[in-house]
Amino acid sequence: MPSLGLGRLLTRERVDPTARRPRGAGTSTFWIFSIGSATLLFMGWLLPWFVRPTSSGIGYSPMDVVSSAPTGIGTFLVYLLGIGMLVMVLSPFAELFYRARKRAVPERLDQVRVLIAVFGLVSTVVVFLLTRVIQEEQLFGPIDAFTITDSAVWLTMVGYILAATAYGLRGWVIRRPTTAFAALALPVGILLPLMFHQAPVFILWAAGSLGIYTLLALGLNVVVGFAGLLDLGYAAFFAIGAYTCGSLASPKHSIHLPLWVLIFLGAAVASMFGAVLGAPTLRLRGDYLAIVTLGFGEIIPDLATNNIGKLTGGPDGISSIDQPIVHLPFATINFGINKEWYYWSVLLVVIVVIVLLRNLEHSRVGRAWVALREDEVAAAATGINTTSTKLLAFAIGASVSGLAGAFYGSIVTIVSPDDFSFSVSVSILSIIVLGGIGNITGVIVGSFVLTFVIFWMLQYLNEWSATLGQTINVPSLGNIDYSQYTYMIYGVALILMMLLRPGGLIPSRARQIELTSGGEEESLAAVQGIA
Amino acid sequence: MTDTAAVPRQAPAPSGVPVLELRDVDVSYGRVQALRGVSLTVGEGEIVALIGSNGAGKTTTLRTISGLVRPSKGEVLLRGQPIQGMGAEAIARLGVGHAPEGRRLFSRMTVRENLDMGAYSRKDRAGIRDDFERVFALFPRVKERSSQLAGSLSGGEQQMVAIGRALMARPTLLLLDEPSLGLAPIVVDSVFEVIREINQGGTTVLLIEQNALLALNTARRGYVLETGEVATQGPSQELLHSPDVQRAYLGM
Ligand SMILES: Nc1ncnc2c1ncn2[C@@H]1O[C@H](COP(=O)(O)OP(=O)(O)O)[C@@H](O)[C@H]1O
Ligand SMILES: [Mg+2]
Repeated sequence: MPSLGLGRLLTRERVDPTARRPRGAGTSTFWIFSIGSATLLFMGWLLPWFVRPTSSGIGYSPMDVVSSAPTGIGTFLVYLLGIGMLVMVLSPFAELFYRARKRAVPERLDQVRVLIAVFGLVSTVVVFLLTRVIQEEQLFGPIDAFTITDSAVWLTMVGYILAATAYGLRGWVIRRPTTAFAALALPVGILLPLMFHQAPVFILWAAGSLGIYTLLALGLNVVVGFAGLLDLGYAAFFAIGAYTCGSLASPKHSIHLPLWVLIFLGAAVASMFGAVLGAPTLRLRGDYLAIVTLGFGEIIPDLATNNIGKLTGGPDGISSIDQPIVHLPFATINFGINKEWYYWSVLLVVIVVIVLLRNLEHSRVGRAWVALREDEVAAAATGINTTSTKLLAFAIGASVSGLAGAFYGSIVTIVSPDDFSFSVSVSILSIIVLGGIGNITGVIVGSFVLTFVIFWMLQYLNEWSATLGQTINVPSLGNIDYSQYTYMIYGVALILMMLLRPGGLIPSRARQIELTSGGEEESLAAVQGIA
Repeated sequence: MTDTAAVPRQAPAPSGVPVLELRDVDVSYGRVQALRGVSLTVGEGEIVALIGSNGAGKTTTLRTISGLVRPSKGEVLLRGQPIQGMGAEAIARLGVGHAPEGRRLFSRMTVRENLDMGAYSRKDRAGIRDDFERVFALFPRVKERSSQLAGSLSGGEQQMVAIGRALMARPTLLLLDEPSLGLAPIVVDSVFEVIREINQGGTTVLLIEQNALLALNTARRGYVLETGEVATQGPSQELLHSPDVQRAYLGM
């Protein structure tokens, strides 16, 4: 068997040192910063609407402070913060305005924005110190800032930091997008549970939906994005990972393996299935491959429903899955109670997977995938083993999914066949299409956007809408069940994207080129006369 | 996993054993038989031309040699070793470079990345760097365009990249499938000039052409393929003067 260069995964190797960075990576990061800062500040301002339903009644947003009569200097400070928020929310539009006119953004504007951001950051810290540390409540009027949730304060701070970086260090962000991204995203990502300790639901969302779906999307991106093999049954591997975890860490079979073993086991079992599914589909492309994988995606949950070999518990699935309890010298961490530990574990795994996949993308195998996607015949003629290269894509993609599945099982403690329906495969595919097929950053952004909309906003939209209905005296607004519109949202989002940004939010280089030129080449099977 | 690429290339053949030999090869695509009992030999250091009209089976012959299709009967010997059952990637590693019909570049990769893919099965970094220089020396235009996307090049430049990509595997046997296809006459001349140069550097070449005059003027010997069978063969000068060949392929 030819060497696939797997040993080099950790030592990122670029064979061609002059190879260019994908076009636009730097500007994409700038946009993430710019739009991200606008979003965070906006969310911080209207926090109760975003992070938890208003009815649960703990804490207020800065908005609530402002809507009370202005009394103290603190309220005034909050007013200024609101103006800063507005400036940053409008900023991306200013960028668009100058770009449309093909002019550079005036230095003055950047200076003003940096000034506002720095001032905003300082004010937020002052508000924080006054209310939390010195507890000077009287400065803030009837609804004092003491009741502004910590989350709002954090969101505002992070938002201003992003803004200051984007507009103040524009050059650095564009030249070193990865460094800039990591320098800001990492600390924020790690501190997130501390920022939202008043909203544990949010942490569960971040760990469960966002973390798990990011893993799934990253894995599917290997198959669809890197190797160009359309897989419509990807949820099957997710199911395999989850059931592996369920069977081996629950009272079901009285086996209780630790989660840390199970994530590897789940990955291994899923990758085996990935290779098994891959083998008969090697000669298929496009539509045919999609149909076979679709079938596989249907078969696996069916097998689980039929309680095959009495292993899977039938339609009810497996419940009471273990949640880790870790004994440290100084403390005992029960993941079932302190959910933020799930978040941190998933975050760590996501980071490791991202690093591995980035290296993989630039390794020999990664280049072989690109070549295979481009022209299978030429790839074979240049000495690429098309069989093992494709199988490897299936296996690696599936293993990431299996890993995610094991985590999922442990987080939700119950797995049943319904959790792995076709709609899950569709969601994951939508994420990578929306984010940008083949582009890791795009895929991450895509999972952020879609899971936020689908798993967060839609759930609370009913309540937000009811509140709005009460306020404006249209009570029927409270009767709409928005969660029924998930697929409509996918549909509208995808159609809009195909029209506005056909390569996804952050397109990969290959997609960008493909959209401007290029069709598909004849397949290897066609050349061999066996298609 | 064994690392075939690091193993030194095929040792020089003992004199007398041809670099390539096809013995009585049959190839079918499903029910269509494309080759019937094709036999041919290519000696060390030769340029051999394989000519024939459209659909005669020239491309099929090359694909059979490089392992993209498998013969249903007969043998393909590379320096005496049978290779007909091996996969394309294994044959490429044995030093067979294939510049396929229609060039088939990786059009969304840069020229440099295309050349780099040619060296896919090699690990000797220094050697790869030398070969980049060698290809750039042979085709200065390719060097100028090295950071451009392959799909954006002109036909002639693409052909140069295709040959260059095949050369990056440092092949001892180079298979060229209609390098003149779709190129302006003046470009064809310069491409063929380089093919001769490559051959003088010690690489054995099997050249496929519909342009019989050009092929026979470049090669020492030639084979004429007609509907999957070898119709005539011999030294180029003989073929050029054979009335049959003149009538059928040289338009005389
Ligand atoms: N992939 C294929 N599938 C089926 N038939 C093919 C295929 N490729 C070539 N053929 C048939 O095989 C014969 C030889 O084709 P080919 O080798 O391409 O000829 P040439 O290169 O001399 O033009 C033709 O009749 C052609 O139609
Ligand atoms: Mg041909």
